[in-house]
Amino acid sequence: MLTPPAMKWGEVLLVLGFTGIGSTLLLALLWAPSVSLDAFESPAAQRIFYWHVPAAWAAFIAFGALFIGSAGWLFRRSEWAWRLHVAGSEAGLATGLMTVWSGCVWGAAEWGTPWDWTDVRLNTFGLLTLLAVYVVLGRNSQPDGVESRDTFAAFGLYGFVLVPVTYIATRIWTIRHPGPVVATGEEGSINGDMGMVLLLGAVSFTVFIIGHMLTSMRLTALEQRLSNLQRHHDGGA
Amino acid sequence: MTYLAVAYLGMLVAIALWTWTVVQRSRRLDQRLHALEGVGGVDRQPQKSEDEAEHKP
Repeated sequence: MLTPPAMKWGEVLLVLGFTGIGSTLLLALLWAPSVSLDAFESPAAQRIFYWHVPAAWAAFIAFGALFIGSAGWLFRRSEWAWRLHVAGSEAGLATGLMTVWSGCVWGAAEWGTPWDWTDVRLNTFGLLTLLAVYVVLGRNSQPDGVESRDTFAAFGLYGFVLVPVTYIATRIWTIRHPGPVVATGEEGSINGDMGMVLLLGAVSFTVFIIGHMLTSMRLTALEQRLSNLQRHHDGGA
Repeated sequence: MTYLAVAYLGMLVAIALWTWTVVQRSRRLDQRLHALEGVGGVDRQPQKSEDEAEHKP
């Protein structure tokens, strides 16, 4: 069970991450160098990249947590793992929506359409976000029990297969979504200042999402404790 | 640039609201737990008082 110091850590990380995200946005809008006017239809919109890429990175961390939590619940029946599943699915939903939304804003400006149904990267990431929607909404509408936990944990476990598919999608099928700009094995296509803002964004989103998951895990633990206490009181009444 | 700033600020406000909701839920649950534990204490309190009352002359 998470102890109060874990809550403090969670909230400290939330504040640090949020401050970092705010700073990233300021730097992205006011300081990061502009891209070549010839290379993009909408060079100003390219700045959304400093939000979009770190949000997608945070989504992968959240879906990783969902996978570990789901496996831990299915194979070990660990309450800690179940709390990680809950935290991972909520964080995955939020960061997934942030990524999809920012991508749609950029797509509308750059491509003239917010979504391309033929692009593999877009669709696999969209499916991942829909999976998180299903797990979060489904869990909130069902009474908590072993059977419902098993069902949602199975979705979290098998749905994770979409993460590597999404990651490699632009390396195999470059349809509309731009190819990778970092971790390409080559020099990459962003300069030092751009890389610095992107790194700040990635670190901030990582800190923020870890803070969120710690806080969310504590929240689930508190809900379980409250439910047990209420049952105890009702039973004793 | 204006629509970009609006989109950025919208997302920032959205994650601030999300964070605020989670932290507030956590604090409310803490309070409810304390209250329930307090009720437990109150439940025990009359028992103690009754016990004490029995020993009073």
